[in-house]
Amino acid sequence: MRTFLVFLASRAGRAVVALWLVSTVVFVVMRLSGDPTPLLLPPDAPRSEIFRLRTELGLDRPLPVQYAVFMGNLLRGDFGQSIRFKGPAIGVVVERLPATLELGLTSFGLAVLIAVPIGLLSAVYRNSPLDHAAMGVALIGQSAPTFFIGILFILVVSVKLGLLPTSGRGDWRNLLLPAVTLGLFGMASVARLTRSAVLEVLRADYIRTARAKGLAETLVIAKHTFKNAAIPIVTITGLQFGSLLAGAVVTETVFAWPGIGRLAIQAIYNRDYPVVQCVVLLSAALFVVVNLAIDAIYGLLDPRIRVR
Amino acid sequence: MTVTRRELLKGAALAGAAAALPAGLPGPATAQTTQKRELVVAQGGDIAHLDPHMSTSSNDIRISYNIFDNLTSRRPDGKLAPGLASEWKLQGQQAWAFKLRSGVKWHNGDPFTAADAKFSLERTYDPAAKTRVNTVFTTIERIEAPDPTTLIVHTKKPDPLLPARLGFYGGQIVPKKYLEAVGQEKFNQAPVGTGPVRFVSWTKDDKVVLDANADYWGGKPDFDRLIVRALPEMAPRVAALLKGEVDIATQLPPDQGERVKANASTTVAGALYGGLYVLAVNSKVKPLDNPLVKQALSLAIDRDVIIKELWRGRGVAPSGPIARGDNHFDPSLPPLAYNPKEARELLKKAGYKNEEIVIETTAGYMAGDKPMAEAVQAMWKDAGINGKVEIVEYSVRAQKNRDKSFKGLWWSDPTSTLRDPDGMMWRLLGPGGPQDYWRHAEWDELGNAARFSVDEKFRGEAYKKMTKIFLEHFPWIPVIQPYEDYGLQKYVEWNPDPLQQLEIRRFNFKFRRA
Repeated sequence: MRTFLVFLASRAGRAVVALWLVSTVVFVVMRLSGDPTPLLLPPDAPRSEIFRLRTELGLDRPLPVQYAVFMGNLLRGDFGQSIRFKGPAIGVVVERLPATLELGLTSFGLAVLIAVPIGLLSAVYRNSPLDHAAMGVALIGQSAPTFFIGILFILVVSVKLGLLPTSGRGDWRNLLLPAVTLGLFGMASVARLTRSAVLEVLRADYIRTARAKGLAETLVIAKHTFKNAAIPIVTITGLQFGSLLAGAVVTETVFAWPGIGRLAIQAIYNRDYPVVQCVVLLSAALFVVVNLAIDAIYGLLDPRIRVR
Repeated sequence: MTVTRRELLKGAALAGAAAALPAGLPGPATAQTTQKRELVVAQGGDIAHLDPHMSTSSNDIRISYNIFDNLTSRRPDGKLAPGLASEWKLQGQQAWAFKLRSGVKWHNGDPFTAADAKFSLERTYDPAAKTRVNTVFTTIERIEAPDPTTLIVHTKKPDPLLPARLGFYGGQIVPKKYLEAVGQEKFNQAPVGTGPVRFVSWTKDDKVVLDANADYWGGKPDFDRLIVRALPEMAPRVAALLKGEVDIATQLPPDQGERVKANASTTVAGALYGGLYVLAVNSKVKPLDNPLVKQALSLAIDRDVIIKELWRGRGVAPSGPIARGDNHFDPSLPPLAYNPKEARELLKKAGYKNEEIVIETTAGYMAGDKPMAEAVQAMWKDAGINGKVEIVEYSVRAQKNRDKSFKGLWWSDPTSTLRDPDGMMWRLLGPGGPQDYWRHAEWDELGNAARFSVDEKFRGEAYKKMTKIFLEHFPWIPVIQPYEDYGLQKYVEWNPDPLQQLEIRRFNFKFRRA
């Protein structure tokens, strides 16, 4: 147990370094991309106005000073004031978080619940029509861009068939299309990876032994194959969580879903530095936490990883 | 939503009738009328502020113009009508007297008085309030509110356009007592106005909910509730309209018009934009400092092709720097000519040596910006002009605008905020203005004289002369005055506004009822 805790502590240390790097990169990139003041004032605002606003926002100070202030505030949990909304940036972001979590977790759940069984069946019934069909769909899911799939769903399912609302947040009917759209890419990769991982294990000696000792095929699959194939599946699933956050940017824009993905896009367009920094850091933190959790699950799934 | 048994039966009967109709025939007549009490509008972006003095963005203004009233009101037909002020007149040269409505109440029940109006206008330029409209009323010297229904505004010099200024952004009247009691931040979260709708809630990036103000001095609007949704992507916005989820959709691109019209229950309404789309020119760089070159650039553009092919006919060719529909627009002027042969001759005369002429364009910030730039480049090529299109991001454009660092030409969509040349060409091209890249002594003198004259005949003459000088020097090359289209359900009776406002007051909005 002690080694396991040491293992977790070292991972947590790395996570903190990763977050510091992310925050620095965001800080620098946002400053490189330009000044927000021209976007905030009407085009005929006089120069004195621009200087006043720059001073008000602290943009007239040297970059290292801005960085020191930014880091100092960050350590105290202060992300600064949103330039566009004139309120605390963290508040603006946290307000949108439930919407993104609702969408992200639903797609994540859909991806896992649908993709893992499909991948498993494809592997077990390898080269069957079911396998070909499933992998064909997975190929489309992985290669079609999210915005294309999203708009296609809206036009066919909502407008043509009139089954679901076109956009916005509301009850489960509003959730279904964006969740499937967002989950499709993840579903495809998880299904493909599950299939190859299971195929790999099915060729192992211990599976031959299990079959040789007369174990029923369902037991061979459930007990021996799946557990051993789980490590790569859990890994890819964890990584998928990251791409879900990235995909949320497009999906939320297409479906007018009021989450942090859409907020991030608007904040970037408006050069709303504090909000962009807050969204990126929060997403990075989420991603880091999920990966930490995955590391912990490894340890539980495979005791060999713990001692290493 | 609760549905009564009767409605359910009616719905079932209609569904049956609809199913019985062969495809291709118009749907049931009920699609053209409605029993709706809720108006749903979709616009291309969420609002950022409810405090009307904190924003000039069209998404914000569509809402703040309806929560609040101005002293004067610019109607969709372009005319200036009474707002909270029922009448106004000049007193001498430098004072405007406004008679305000009595008996008007704020949404919280407080009475509206001249003190509110004085407070609102002074707030716009009060440094402590840090508003984003502090340049709108710079002509005001001081304001008096001698009694609750009288407001006297003294200007630093004669200001013929003060009533027009009061009708546009910055002119929304806010409640003194409430604002002072709750502070700016709370006011922005829970605004109180005198307008036809009262604020209920705002779910950021999703929707703003507003209720009809039953006691509105201009009559209760023809709905109980107004919902303004933010649908940033064009395709889903159109889809929501086609499916009937929204009643009015803003920013409908010309290539979607046919689709919306082909749908049985929806249609398109457009307003001729109160402004122009122009290629603004940096006349300080060579060879654009030569008027002959700029005349050639204008002559080489086939505006009819741009309007027909890129805008599906949804626009008109400009005749000069004054937008159609503005004060002092001269209907006798012909549209800007297309003549590549004459363009070549002018270039020869100007000694043009095939220098590169750059158009810096955004892609999608202004409707049709990139395709129009590419079309212009190709047309110029045919006339022997070496044009080059460079794509810049929106914020880069804003920065260049600020630094006045454009390389050659760039797209601009000047809005005629006062529906008068003073609020458009003089505001932007005048000395020290945001597009000050060209100076001409006589033009400057005329512009200045027209700004401070209360004699409309004199002003008309001045703008005529300024137009003539403009058409020799082309500090802008006007390309199109487009229509701004909206998608509507057919049961909506509503006129779009040339200045992108959403006028839903009783005189301009009605649900067609069965």
